[in-house]
Order: sequence, then C-alpha cells, then structure tokens
Amino acid sequence: MAIKRWFEWIAPLGVMGGLACLIADMDPSMYSISPTTVSGFALLVVGCCSGLVHFVSLRRSVKALSRQSNELAAGPSEARQRLVSTDDVLGELVTSFNDALGSAERHTKDALSATKELQIQLKVATSQRRQAEAIIHSIDDAVLVTDRFDEVLLANDSASRALGFDKVEAQRRPVDRVVNDPQLVGMIRDVRLGKAANERRVIEHRVRRNGQDRIYRVTLSNIRDSQGESGGVVSVLHDSTREIEIARMKNDFVSSVSHELRTPLASIRAYVEMLIDGEASDEKTKREFHDIIMAESVRLGRLIDNILNISRIESGLLEIKRIPLSLTVICKEALDVISSQAKLRNIKIEEQLEPAFYQTLADKDMLYQAVLNLLSNAVKYTPSGGTVTLRTMVDESAKKVAVRIIDTGVGIPAKDLPFVFDKFFRVEANKNVAKGTGLGLSLVKNIIETVHKGTMVVTSEQGKGSSFGFELDLC
Amino acid sequence: MAEKAQKTVLIADDESHILNVVSLKLKNAGFRVICARDGNEALEMALAEKPDLLITDYHMPGLNGLEVASRLRQSETGRDIPAILLSARGYNLNEADVRESGIRMQISKPFSPRNLLGLVNEALGIAA
Repeated sequence: MAIKRWFEWIAPLGVMGGLACLIADMDPSMYSISPTTVSGFALLVVGCCSGLVHFVSLRRSVKALSRQSNELAAGPSEARQRLVSTDDVLGELVTSFNDALGSAERHTKDALSATKELQIQLKVATSQRRQAEAIIHSIDDAVLVTDRFDEVLLANDSASRALGFDKVEAQRRPVDRVVNDPQLVGMIRDVRLGKAANERRVIEHRVRRNGQDRIYRVTLSNIRDSQGESGGVVSVLHDSTREIEIARMKNDFVSSVSHELRTPLASIRAYVEMLIDGEASDEKTKREFHDIIMAESVRLGRLIDNILNISRIESGLLEIKRIPLSLTVICKEALDVISSQAKLRNIKIEEQLEPAFYQTLADKDMLYQAVLNLLSNAVKYTPSGGTVTLRTMVDESAKKVAVRIIDTGVGIPAKDLPFVFDKFFRVEANKNVAKGTGLGLSLVKNIIETVHKGTMVVTSEQGKGSSFGFELDLC
Repeated sequence: MAEKAQKTVLIADDESHILNVVSLKLKNAGFRVICARDGNEALEMALAEKPDLLITDYHMPGLNGLEVASRLRQSETGRDIPAILLSARGYNLNEADVRESGIRMQISKPFSPRNLLGLVNEALGIAA
C-alpha cells in the first residue's frame, strides 16, 4: 500500500476535521483567531492539498490506464497483456479488469481454435462438394439437383442439353422457370412432398427438343436430411430412345426371321403329309415331292446359316482376322466355285483382274463370302446365254481397290434399288426368277461396310442387267 | 344314282408350292381346281368361272386376299361365293376387315393339307 493511498484518506478527513473545527469555533461576534481556528484552517488546507494530490494522482493513473487500454485495443497480441496496476483505488479496478482480460483471452483462444477447426471442416466439405460436383458433371446422364424450395442447386451439361437451359444461369432459380416441362416439374414436386409411394420414383418421360422426341427413363430421389425433412430432389434422366429403338428393331428382326423360316418349313410339312396320306400315287410325283422336301430343307439350313452370320457380324461377336490379301486371288477362288453352276446355265464368265500384288487388309473368309454371294446372284438372275463379268480395279492415287460384278440379267426396277440391301428384301418382279433368302446382299453389305469400312455400289436397269460392287482401302 | 356335280375350287396364292399341294389334295378329293398367282388374276377368274369356293392367300401381288374377297362380295356374280383365307401367322389382320370382306373361315400357314380339305368340305356343306 503506497503513500498515495494515504492521500485518499487524508483528503476527506482533513477537510471534514477542518470544517468541524471552524464550525465549532464559529462565533459571529468574535473575530479573533483562536488556536482552534488555526488548526481548523490548517486541517482544511492539508485536506485540500491532499485532495488535490490525490486527484492529480488519480488522474494520472486514469490517463495511464486509458493509454494502456488503447494500446490493448489497438491490436491483438499473443503475449499476455495486462494493465499495470496503480497503487490507488483504481488498482482494484485494474485487478478485476486484468482478470476479465485473462478470461477474455482464454475465450478468444478457444474461439480461435474452434474457428480453425471449422475452417478445416469447411475446406474438407468444400473439397468434397467440388468432388461431388465434378462427379455429377462427368455423368453422361442428365442430372438435376433441386433444393427444398424447388430451386435449381446443380445441373450438369447433359441436363442443360436435354432440357434446354443454361446450367450457370439456372443456379438458384426456381425449377419451373428454368425447365419448360410442367410434367417433369410436377413430378419433382410430388417426390419432394412425399406424394410418391416411395422415396424414389422411376418413370418413362417423353421430352420434345428441336422437333425431336426423346424418351428418358427418369429416376427421382427425395433426399432427406437428418431431421427427416426433405432436403431436395435429385433427378437423373437416362436417354433410352436408342435402346428402345434397338429393342424394337430386334423384335422386328425376330418376327421377320420367324416368318422366313416358317415358309420352307411349311412346304416340308405339307409335302410330307401328302406323302403320308398317299396323295402321291405315282412314282414320278413321289420323287418330285422328295426332291422338293430335300431342297426346302437345304434352303432352310442356308437361311439359318445366313441369319446366324449376319447376327454375329452385327453384334460384333464374330472374330475378325484381318490380313493383307489380294482381292484378285479371292475372286479367282470364288470363280472356281461358281464356274460349274454357270456352265450348267450356259452363262459365260469373263475375268478382268488386276495383278495379284495389290492388296487390302481384310478377313479372308468374309471377303470370300461377299464375292461369292455377289457372283451367285449374278448367275442366278441371268437367263441362259447371258454373261457375267468379274472385274477388279485399282486406283493408286485414291488408294482404293474395287470389285465389280456385271451381269446381263433381269435387272432391278429403279423403285426397288434403294432397298436391295435390306434384310429379307426380295425384288417382287424377280421373285419367280430364282430362289433367294433375301439375306445374301444384306450379308455382303454388312461385311463390306460395317466390318471393313468399305463402300457398296450398285447400278441396274430392268431387263438389261445389273452391276454390283464394292471398294476397299488399298494397303 | 346321280353324280353330285363336281365342285370347282379357285386357289389364289403367289407361292407355287402352296398351289401344287392344295391343287393335288383337292383334285384327289374329287374337286376341279383352278389356280391364280396374284390378286387381280384371282378376281378375274372368280368372276369369269364362278367357282363354288375361293381359297385365297392374304399377301399377294396386286390385290390382297381381303380385297379380292370384298370385291367379290360386292359383285353381282360373285357375292355368294364362300371364301377361305390363308393367313400367315404374324400378320395382324383386323377382325372387322375380315368379317366385312365376307370371309367366313381362316386357316393359318403353315397349314396341314388334311385340315384344309376338312375346311373345304365344311364350307361347301359336304359331309367328310
């Protein structure tokens, strides 16, 4: 306890004591100076001086404290900052203040520590969110995320394209303003409100964009937060237009195939039944029936082979062995096989083949099958006495090799020309000229265009003849 | 005993096998058989020859089987000729169209010649 403290007490005591003496000695009549009066005055003076000193001292302390406070307030410092205690009544205040400061420092430290932790969590959450966004943006299907107010939170490029909006502009906007599809918007709302039976709903939805109809398999999922409230809806639109188309094509193909297979089978059954019922009374008829049954069985077998081949090629299951080979060599091999058939029908075969060293990269079996099919057609549809020409050509500058098979046969009507390569297509006008499965040309087109990336060509004039051929890359 | 007049059956189909088989079966059963290879020929022959029965394929060049039967039904000469339709399974024929054309019986391909004969007898009211 410093001397300053004394002044605290001397001041009021002195003043009061002095005043007391003076008042005690107060006698209006006597204007004499007694010892009491002198003491009184003395005490008064001492008291006042003491008070003054105390006041000045106090003021000084306040100023000092004030300055220190300002320094403290000016900037945070790690060191424990405290006000320097003064040896007066303010000292008690300073002690309390310093305690409060200490407590505040502790709280600040805790707060800072908590903030740091939150920052780290925020970083992690942000990084996770970015990752999730990246995942969503990389998904091929259209993804649209809406919140509990039906506002767009996130949409990927596929969604932008599929539903026709800008994914950046759409952010935080109501989904019914962004997506012009009341049905879809309605579904999102229904799922969010839990009107759907389950949390997830899968529906088929048709969307019209740029005059085109596309069918989507839409999966809507209600995302619930920890309180069980709906946090929003995730809508995933999978474009199943092509899948549906392919499924329908497959179905059509199976129907066509079944129909085609049934025709020879029907003949076989009918003739067998006729034989059983003794309808063929003479040997000639019997033999005729037997021949027909045999021919139809063979046809059925060939049909099945063709169908399997085509199916395997189209589904990419057939193993393709590409080697450099000479078209000329392949053509010669096919010619050998066809020559006997041609001779039988009195058809002349002409060869115009390039030198064998011109090669193309191709599967030998497939290419042989293609050339054979074309040659076989040419011979089948050319009446007796006609000519079939087999030509190979090379264009070195264009780096192409080509094959042409030209016949003087029945030709194809112009209206049928675009369809000759279609599966099971048979030219109406020529149905009685020769038997066919309707698959031969389809197989050739598949082999040349799909497998070998070549080009098919055909020209024809009804009654005059046809020219079928293809082009492949020279290697 | 008076011979029952030989009945004439007209068969229309673009497939030779069908024509051969049905012709032979019916001829052996005592019918007179005439053949047409397309819809137009079938209609012409039906109007000209007035067969007792028409057996027609559905899918043919020219008029199809339903059209032939319809026109026959609308004609003066042909309206009473009963018709049997040979339909290929997988062709979805409208029931109403079939009835409207006057066709009373159908048999789907592949069919058994025996069964067809049965139908022919039924159509002509002949006891088997």
